[in-house]
Amino acid sequence: MPGLTQAHSVVAPSTASRRIAGALVIVYAIITMIPLLWIIATSFKTPPDSISYPPKVIFTPSLEGYVNLFTTRTRQTPEVIATLPPPTTWYDKLVRSRNMVIAGPSNVIPRFVNSIIIAFGSTFLAVFLGTLAAYGFSRFKVPLKDDLLFFILSTRMMPPIAVAIPIYLMYRELGLSDTKLGMILLYTAVNVSLAVWLLKGFIDEIPREYEEAAMIDGYTRLQAFRKAVLPQAATGIAATAIFCLIFAWNEYAFAVLLTSGTAQTMPPFIPFIIGEGGQDWPAVAAATTLFVIPIFVFTILLRKHLLRGITFGAVRK
Amino acid sequence: MSDIHVPPRPSLVTKILRLRRGPWENIATILIGLGVVMLMQPYSATAYAYSFITILAGTILFAIVSHFPE
Amino acid sequence: MTELPAQTAFADRVAEAMPSGIGKTVRGLSDKAIAWLFIGPTILLLLAINIFPLIWTIYLSFTNYRANRPNAEVKYVGLDWYHRILGDADVWAAMQTTAHFVIWTIIIETVLGFGLAWLIDKKFRGHALWTTVILIPMMLSPAVVGNFWTFLYQPQSGLFNYAISFVTGIDPSSFQMLGSVRLSPWAIVIVDAWMWTPYVMLICLAGLRSIPDYIYEAAEVDRASPWRQFWSITLPMALPFIMLAVLFRGIENFKMFDMVNLLTGGGPGSTTEVVSITLKRQAFESWRTGYSSALAIILFVTVFGLANIYVKALNRVKQR
Repeated sequence: MPGLTQAHSVVAPSTASRRIAGALVIVYAIITMIPLLWIIATSFKTPPDSISYPPKVIFTPSLEGYVNLFTTRTRQTPEVIATLPPPTTWYDKLVRSRNMVIAGPSNVIPRFVNSIIIAFGSTFLAVFLGTLAAYGFSRFKVPLKDDLLFFILSTRMMPPIAVAIPIYLMYRELGLSDTKLGMILLYTAVNVSLAVWLLKGFIDEIPREYEEAAMIDGYTRLQAFRKAVLPQAATGIAATAIFCLIFAWNEYAFAVLLTSGTAQTMPPFIPFIIGEGGQDWPAVAAATTLFVIPIFVFTILLRKHLLRGITFGAVRK
Repeated sequence: MSDIHVPPRPSLVTKILRLRRGPWENIATILIGLGVVMLMQPYSATAYAYSFITILAGTILFAIVSHFPE
Repeated sequence: MTELPAQTAFADRVAEAMPSGIGKTVRGLSDKAIAWLFIGPTILLLLAINIFPLIWTIYLSFTNYRANRPNAEVKYVGLDWYHRILGDADVWAAMQTTAHFVIWTIIIETVLGFGLAWLIDKKFRGHALWTTVILIPMMLSPAVVGNFWTFLYQPQSGLFNYAISFVTGIDPSSFQMLGSVRLSPWAIVIVDAWMWTPYVMLICLAGLRSIPDYIYEAAEVDRASPWRQFWSITLPMALPFIMLAVLFRGIENFKMFDMVNLLTGGGPGSTTEVVSITLKRQAFESWRTGYSSALAIILFVTVFGLANIYVKALNRVKQR
């Protein structure tokens, strides 16, 4: 008996070693969060504060970065500004204090809207196609099933730049260059492979008995799929959708090579937010902050399914 | 004692000759790995020149042997 | 009763035709039709967006086509481009730069990732929360990460340089992480490790959790030292998972583009020019479409070959 209790004490680590492990992990987590927290802090700094030496940890928060992100401004002499009617809004006031006048809205809102349309459009299509295909692969005997599944997976691993060359030429012929439709189709193709693999894993776990019972009750195969399988797979479908959304939201290589204006998304846009004399860091940081907040939310929603997502459904915990 | 029949464990050579998936996949894997090393090593320009054909051969071999029975 | 044999025979035939399905209901569409109806659209989309372009790339790699001169005469050049690339010292150098990047990121991420997983596996209080926090970097866009790290790497005002000078006492403006030939390859390795260590950690954690407790209990009965247990149980049993993570990171970093493009763009000079950057420069700056198509095919085949190995590793892990 003493031997057994001793065994347990090692399998379940001692309190001291647990505390040390916890402390080390927390230290790592804090260090790893500093760059992100720094960017979020920078978005609330004024341009001079953002590049001061030594770096300012304590500063007076300002919304200048956000104002600069959403507007384009022109520099004016104080005399010209004095002739203007008094500023009506707080952001007018803020901009004029820097001897500038707001000329109009910047491109950031259209870019954000592009990101949203392209991410949601491609996610919807990929999950729709992926659910059907995953069900097909999971339940039916398909000739060359393993080859098809491998082919589907391999398309996701292809180097984006290599794919971009023919896509660029193809889209130029078809008139899809720099269009949202073109980007949605492209991201759907990349995401559908992940969707098929992930969803196949989820659907494999749903016992066939559900459909069989439904079909004995007189449902057709399609009705059984809709009424018995889809509700069971809802969590899996939601998790897959978030993965697709994250990919499409974050994608850069295709976006930078295939879009230049009307269909440009946020990732290629953010690095080119420039102020006078180089990058306007508070504005870049503001854009980054707004851009990554959805990702924080998604990560928390997905935390139980992350492992599955990054191993194409192979490791289920 | 003597009438207990123990089938002899097949040697690596017979396993390969029997066209089984496992050992052949390992050969293809080694070929691909070797090709990748040849592609990225800084020592021999000749090895670099022949890296692609090695990877290609390994990949094609892999595609073929993955259809052998287990 | 007389109908029964015929019915069973029919049901048998149906069941035979779709062994995985259920031959009980044949109303509506047949299972085979549904299978193709369900899988068909995905295959068609991938054929249009992946396979057709791939075949086009193969064709272009045998020609002297240039995308910026679509009306020029297209000549067949045979295997010229392949010969040229496989004898090109610049591409070879880019491959070596890629290798440096791949090898060092894998080493750092595996050691850190496995170490973290091992610590988290001790299940201290609040481990789930801190694990989620650690995972955040890998969910971000590599492009955005690359971009904001250029800010952290600013020689005078950057937080990274300041932190280094704070610890070592070196003047923070005396070194440029991104502008120096010596440091810029490491600047990229650091960012990649920051971003992707959580990925390796997560997979290693799954590996560690897949080891059943009774093995440790048995080892304890045999009085194996913790050190011995680590080397003869923990590490070997987690190895398939570590291999999976290493292979995937290897493939991903072999084709790394986003982060490098934004951190250094391949510079200074070509010190950080990984092969994806070479490809981008050839294809979209010099517009040597034929040449870059051949290089693209070389990368394709390499990734495709590695993907075979990856799927093999995936299946090995799946069996656990």
